[in-house]
Amino acid sequence: MTFPYKGYAGYYLDVDLTKGKVHKKELEKEWARLYLGGSGVAAKILWDRTGPDTNPLGPDNVLVVGTGPLTGVMFSPSGRMMFATKSPLTGVWAESHVGGFLGAEIKYAGFDFVVFNGRSEKPVYLSLQDGEGELLDAAHLWGKETNVTTQMIREDHKDPTLKTGVIGPAGENGVLYGSIIVDFYRAAGRAGLGTVLGSKNVKAIAASGAQGLEVHDMEAYLEANDKEMEKLKDPLWTESLASLRKYGTTDLVAIINEIGRLPTKNHWTGYYEQADDIGPEIIAEKYRIAQEACHGCAVGCKYIIRVKDGKYPTGPIGGPEYETIMAFGSNCLNNDIESVFHLGKRCDLLGLDTISCGKSIGFAMELYEKGIISKEDADGLDLSWGNSETQAALVEKIARREGFGNLLADGVRKAAEKIGGDAWKYAIHVKGLEASGQDPRAHQSIGLTYATNVRGADHLRSISCVEELGYPEIATSRFGADKAEAILDIMSPQYKGELIWDMENFYAVVDSAVICKYGTMWPPMFYFDTFVNVIPPLTGMTEWGDMKFVRKVAERISHLRRAYNHRLGITRKDETLPHRLLKEPMPTGPSKGGLPDLDEMLDEYYEFRGCDRDTGLPKEGKLKELGLDFVVKELKPKGLTK
Amino acid sequence: MKSFLAIDLQKCTGCRNCELACSVAHTQTFNPRRSRIQILKDEPRNLVVPMVCLQCEEPLCEQACPNGAISYNEKGTLVVDHELCIGCENCVTACVYGGIEIDPHTLKAIKCDLCWGDPACVKACEYGAISLVEAKQDGIKARRKGVDLAFQTIKLKTGEVTE
Repeated sequence: MTFPYKGYAGYYLDVDLTKGKVHKKELEKEWARLYLGGSGVAAKILWDRTGPDTNPLGPDNVLVVGTGPLTGVMFSPSGRMMFATKSPLTGVWAESHVGGFLGAEIKYAGFDFVVFNGRSEKPVYLSLQDGEGELLDAAHLWGKETNVTTQMIREDHKDPTLKTGVIGPAGENGVLYGSIIVDFYRAAGRAGLGTVLGSKNVKAIAASGAQGLEVHDMEAYLEANDKEMEKLKDPLWTESLASLRKYGTTDLVAIINEIGRLPTKNHWTGYYEQADDIGPEIIAEKYRIAQEACHGCAVGCKYIIRVKDGKYPTGPIGGPEYETIMAFGSNCLNNDIESVFHLGKRCDLLGLDTISCGKSIGFAMELYEKGIISKEDADGLDLSWGNSETQAALVEKIARREGFGNLLADGVRKAAEKIGGDAWKYAIHVKGLEASGQDPRAHQSIGLTYATNVRGADHLRSISCVEELGYPEIATSRFGADKAEAILDIMSPQYKGELIWDMENFYAVVDSAVICKYGTMWPPMFYFDTFVNVIPPLTGMTEWGDMKFVRKVAERISHLRRAYNHRLGITRKDETLPHRLLKEPMPTGPSKGGLPDLDEMLDEYYEFRGCDRDTGLPKEGKLKELGLDFVVKELKPKGLTK
Repeated sequence: MKSFLAIDLQKCTGCRNCELACSVAHTQTFNPRRSRIQILKDEPRNLVVPMVCLQCEEPLCEQACPNGAISYNEKGTLVVDHELCIGCENCVTACVYGGIEIDPHTLKAIKCDLCWGDPACVKACEYGAISLVEAKQDGIKARRKGVDLAFQTIKLKTGEVTE
C-alpha cells in the first residue's frame, strides 16, 4: 500500500452497479491532503463525476458514502459519517450526516469511501467485510421496513454485530425525501439520499471488519486527543452537556420556544403555547428509559423511549430528536407527544425524512385552512390543524405514493407548483428543501444560513449558536472585542455575514473530519485549533499543523460545494428566503415583529466569501488562490466566475 | 489483593469507547475486534451487554486449556501466555460468559489482563460505568450485578455472593 497517511483505511470502493462489479481502489493522496475526507472529498468526487446533465434518479447520478480521518479513532464526538449526491428533491448539492456505528465499521472493514455509480438490474445490497466489497442479492429485502431489513441482513450473515445503513419502502417508491436509516434509529434524513439509493436498486450497506486503523504517532495523538477531551470539563459547558445527556435534543423544544423561534403552524409563528406538552420534561419523566451514545462519544445525546399503553404503544425505540418533534408537533399544532413518537417511528421504519415529511403535511394543513385544497382533494382526510390521525394516515400514503400522498411525496416546492394559485406562499423552503426547525425572524443569522446553505433551508452547514445561547468569550476570541457586542445581539444583522462565513468554513472541516455538531455547534467547545492539534499526529499530514493551511482547506471545500451549485445555475437570486420568513413579521411570541435583514447580511457574506455581490458568483482570483483552477476552467467559459 | 472489573449497566451507554482504548493498549491500533472488552447490543430489546473476563474463582478457561497457556500472574490476574497458546479455542468454548476470544490477527486467545493493574477501559469510560474493584464482598456484588443481564439472556443462574 502506498497511501501515505494514517488514520485512514486507505481505500475506497468504486461500485459499478450497472455491471454489478466492485473496484477496490487506493485512496488518492491529494483528496486527504486538500479535502480531508467526508464532505470535502465527496465534493471533489461529485464535481468530477456529476453535473448539469445528471438526472438525480438516473443511473448517471453518483452517491458517495463517506467517513473522515477522525471516524473510529476515539475522538469524541466522532461517531459520524456522511452521504452525498445530487438531490432528487432539490436538484442541487445534497449531503446528509448520521451518527451511530456504521461509519467506524466501514473503516474497520477497510474503506474510507464507497462511490455508487449506475443502476443495478435487480435489488442488491453492498457488503463490506475485511477489505472486500461484494454486491449481494436483496430480492428478499425489497419492500421491507428498515428494522426488519437490518435484522434480516444480520441473520443472513449470522453476525448480530453487523452495522447497516438501509432504505425503507419510501426510498424504493421514489418519495423525494427518502432517508437512509443507520443502526435502527439514526437517520441520514435530508434531501433524498435514500431515494437515490432506491433508484439504483440498492437496499442497504452492511459493514463488519477487523482491519483496524493505524496512527502516525499514537503517543502524540492520544496526548492531543486527551487535551481536546479536557475541554469537556470546562465549567463553561457543564450546563449544556448536562442538558444533552439528560434530555438529548428534546431540550431545544423548550430553549427555542423561549426565544420565539420554534416553527409553529407551518412557520406562521415561532411560539407554541402548548410546547410543554411536547417538551423535554414530560419525555424524560414519562417515556425515557435509557441514555445512548454514538461510537466513542462522550456526550451521549441519544435516548431510548418506550410507550406502554394508549393508542400508540411501542417497545424500545430511539426517541425523536428536536426536529421531528417540531415537524410533527408544533409545526402541525399537534401537542399529543405519543402521536409524535409514533409518527417519528413510522418515518424511521418507512425511511422518510421526518422534517420534509412533517413540513409537507403542515403545508397541506395550511392549504386546507386557507381553502386552497378541500377534503376531497385529500382523499377525504380531515386536514384540520393538530389532527394526528390524519398525519399518521398521510405518512403511510406518502411512503406508498398513494392518492394525496403522491403529491406530498414530491415535497412542498413541487406540490405547490402542481396545486397552483397562492399555494407557493405556504411552501416554506429554500432551493426546494423544506425548512428545518429554525426561524430567521427570531435569529437574524439563521436567515443567512438558510439562504446560503448549499443544500437548502437547513441550519447544519453554518448555524451559529454563539448569539443564540450567548457566549461572549467565544464571540470575543473569534471576532474581536469590538465586534462581540453586535454579534451577540441575535436581532442585529451587523457582522453576521462574517459570522456565518466563519461558521460555514469551520463546519466544512467538521463535516469532512467527520465529527459531530454537538461539541462544535453546541456547545462551541472545539474550533479550528482542534484540527491543528489532532490531525497531524493522527495522519502524518504535517501541513495540517498550520492554521493558515487548515483555514484554506475550509474555504476550498466551501467554494467547491458552492461551485457545484453555480454550475447548475444557482446564483444570488436563489440564495433567498421563502416569502413568509422574509416579508411577514413574526406575529406572536417573544420575537414578535422580527424580520431578517437578508440583503445586508448577504452583501457582507459575499464580501468575505470572495464572491461578487450582485450575483453571488465566485471571483476568479479567489478560486485560484484556493487551488481550484479546475473549477475556474469549467465555470469561466460559462460566465460563472467574476 | 485480587481485583477485577465491575460494570454498572445503568451507566453504560453502549458507546464502545472502552473497546477502542483496550485495542490501543494492546495492539497500538484502533480495532474493536481485537479488544478484550466487547460491548454487545440488541437494539430492538434495548439491551447493552458488556462482556469482559470476570477473573473467575474457578476459571473454566484455565481448566480447558490443553497447553497450560492460561495462568495467574503475580497480581492474581488470569492471563494468556501467547507463546504457549496454540489457538485451539477450547477456552472460548469453555467460558460460559464470552470473556475470552480469539484475536482475528494473531489467531491466539486474548482476554482482559487488567492492563497490569491500570485498565485503559476504566479511564476511557466517560460515563464512569467501569471500575476496578477488589475481590471483597462489595466488589463481588458489583461484578455480579454487571453480569446478571447477560446471564439472564443466556438463561444462566448466578449463585449467592460469598466472600
